Amino acid sequence: MRRLAVAGLTAVVGWGCGSDAPRDTTRLTVGLRFDYPTPNELIGPPTLAYAAINDQMFPSLMEEQGDFREGPPVWAPGLAEGWEFSEDRLQLTVRLRSDASWSDGEPVTAEDVRFTWLAQTDTEVAWSSSYVHEATVDVEVLDPHTVRFHFDAALPTALADVSTGAILPRHAWEARPFAEWRGDPDWFFDALVTSGPFRLVSRTPGSELVLGRNPDHFETDLPRLERVILRNTPDSTALTNRLLAGELDVATGIGATDASRIDGQPGLHLIAYSNRQFTFVVWNTTRPWFADAATRRALALAIDRQAIVDTIWHGYARVGRSPVISGVWAHDPDLEPWPHDPEAARTTLRDAGWIDVDGDGIIERGGRPFRFELATNTGAVARWDAMQMIQADLRTVGIDAQPRRVEPNALNQRLPEQDFDAAAVAIAIDTNLDFRPLFHSEEVGGYNFAAYANPEADRLIESFATRTDPLGGREDLHRLQRILRDDQPMLVLWEPVSLAAFNDDLESVAPNAVSPLANLKEWAWR
Amino acid sequence: MGLALAPVAGVIRLVLRRVAAAAVLFLIVLTLTFAAVAGAPGDPLSPNDPRIPTEHAERLRALYGLDQPLPAQYLRWLGAVLLSWDWGQSYQTGRPVSDLLFESLPPTLLLAGGALFTQYLLGIGLGLIAARRPNSWLDLGVRAASLLVYALPTFWVGLMAVLIVGVGLGLAPIGGMTSAAAYELGPLAALLDVLAHLWLPALVLGLCMAGDIARYTRSSLIEFQTTDAGRAAKARGLPWTRIVFVHGLAHAAPRLLQMAAVSAPLLLSGAIVAEAVFVWPGLGSTTLQAIQAGDVPVVLAATAYGAALVIAASLAADLLLVRLDPRLQAE
Repeated sequence: MRRLAVAGLTAVVGWGCGSDAPRDTTRLTVGLRFDYPTPNELIGPPTLAYAAINDQMFPSLMEEQGDFREGPPVWAPGLAEGWEFSEDRLQLTVRLRSDASWSDGEPVTAEDVRFTWLAQTDTEVAWSSSYVHEATVDVEVLDPHTVRFHFDAALPTALADVSTGAILPRHAWEARPFAEWRGDPDWFFDALVTSGPFRLVSRTPGSELVLGRNPDHFETDLPRLERVILRNTPDSTALTNRLLAGELDVATGIGATDASRIDGQPGLHLIAYSNRQFTFVVWNTTRPWFADAATRRALALAIDRQAIVDTIWHGYARVGRSPVISGVWAHDPDLEPWPHDPEAARTTLRDAGWIDVDGDGIIERGGRPFRFELATNTGAVARWDAMQMIQADLRTVGIDAQPRRVEPNALNQRLPEQDFDAAAVAIAIDTNLDFRPLFHSEEVGGYNFAAYANPEADRLIESFATRTDPLGGREDLHRLQRILRDDQPMLVLWEPVSLAAFNDDLESVAPNAVSPLANLKEWAWR
Repeated sequence: MGLALAPVAGVIRLVLRRVAAAAVLFLIVLTLTFAAVAGAPGDPLSPNDPRIPTEHAERLRALYGLDQPLPAQYLRWLGAVLLSWDWGQSYQTGRPVSDLLFESLPPTLLLAGGALFTQYLLGIGLGLIAARRPNSWLDLGVRAASLLVYALPTFWVGLMAVLIVGVGLGLAPIGGMTSAAAYELGPLAALLDVLAHLWLPALVLGLCMAGDIARYTRSSLIEFQTTDAGRAAKARGLPWTRIVFVHGLAHAAPRLLQMAAVSAPLLLSGAIVAEAVFVWPGLGSTTLQAIQAGDVPVVLAATAYGAALVIAASLAADLLLVRLDPRLQAE
């Protein structure tokens, strides 16, 4: 009994004593801000953290590579070992690996690919990314390991479209009618078979997910880790604390304010990697304050974006220059950002007819004071902080911006309906660089929150979107960026970087814009 | 015979009256919560990506019953809750809300139980120390300390505990209710593992709420010594420890129990904060994440669960009070 009491006391009080024990190199503990409610991606949450986990168990046909600096996305074989387009690009024939199998021993076949497409496009399943198959009219099974996609338009995004979403196990999941999928996400744990480098070993809802090495994976020398334990830690500060306390080996989704606590810590290193996001202020051009480009340019001149980035991001972001972000091959490196020049802003505003007639410190035009609401969603801490600085900057040129937090769903509804004056929002761009949703005049009511319309911009966007050789359209996108810089339907504030912290003894870690766990199967302890 | 049964019948009537009042209160809470959530701005199922086909959004709305008029939604929801304890499906995860809360309620009860234990252990202990020599330096110190911990925000104390005890000294784990891959542990090791994770958040939460108990225990014990019973005990030559431990604490017990019920809402709200700081997978963490994600069914159910816990604690305290104080039975 006394021995038991001593053991209990050691466990309760002497928690830190275990830190000197030799490392268990068979397992890795990763802190993620995640939730993993179901292994069925089609009814799971559309978040990067969820996809990062699901990809470890369910590979797609092709794998998007994470570097977009040199050119358009490159696709590496996943479950597909090869593919080819027909001459008119209306058909894509994909050959599957013959050595890929599900965890119950059944082979991965072309029937699985067709079943996946049927599920992805079924309205009862209501997959949030079903629009990627708008141009797919059929998926034809040619033989057990060959499948052909038929399209009604030759889109440059075809490879991205067919690789969006994991391939699902028909033999295990077809027993459940599509109409019942959303009603019972737990059922897919009971009927779980996987084909990726890792298998599901254990799950504690909301807390922990344990993945184990798939010994039958077709890449026979991968993965190199036996076990990966994913620990749910939704809050960035708590995540950092757990890392510093030694409870985690890896932490992804670190906040910029917490980064300084990790930087320089012995045994840990921080990796800042690019992502596809940028944050901007969109000006509603249907509002009288923002109807003319000259006024919008003056706003860009008045706001000190470098000060915002320095203050809020502590060096883990850069001032944005263009919606084609700097980590992407089509970014125009010669594009000069608007400088912070309040005097030039005042002159531009005066020339545009904005003058403080009544002497109250706020400029007016046509009797209307330059006073507007600047909205962002609740929970967006960095944006809210930035909005206070924007308010102060604009006040120096006689503009009264009134920051306001709006419930996220309400803001989501108001933006496409142009029911706002100006809003600070963030977005992640598609790597296919199709800017129709953001800036095409026909997309008002969609992502074109600014209600921006410029015929030349429309022409360039259409020209690029229909090219089958995206690289050849680089000049079109450079020209588009210059137009957007001059028209300023949105002011790009910053491009953040993502932060992840790793134990120094881990090797081959390479998080990228696609996923922080992009090459998890290659990670290993030294 | 009839006379002997009269008090029992009275107690039963009292219990039934309290239970009925609690049920009505619960129904009011359900209705107000539903109205508040339904009246909140924004559509929780509006797609945040304009490319999502409208028929998909409509399918989700139909699945969650949001295609019905508001009164029909309310009746359907209330009927499902009252008849089959079905709280619907989470918008965020698609899982039954009952399952989510069934998983997160035990950790919260464990944390709240641990905190309650700590709160009373510390509170009564400090009250006894202070009452031993009223107005001494020790007494003043205890009173000042109890005021200080009462004033300190739980999240701040929690963060300091995490940074100093967890990160700095490594004396306690600071995240979650178990260690990584705890399913590999045997039953005893698993129990000790949970206790190792529990003691710090329970201490933080209990400490922040112990001040009230300490101050009441002190004043009650000092007051007891001036009553006839206290003076009689002293005159019989009973030692001070026996006077306060046996007679004094019995004197204070009904009010202390009532304070437990009164502190139930504070304990729950404190648990929400403590769960966020210590990544404790309880009702608070679930509620917080649901609020951030606009997961209406979970928010509704979590609020109702919280209300039910508070009402149940209150009811239990009332009934215990009746049990302990015969005068109330007579009333």
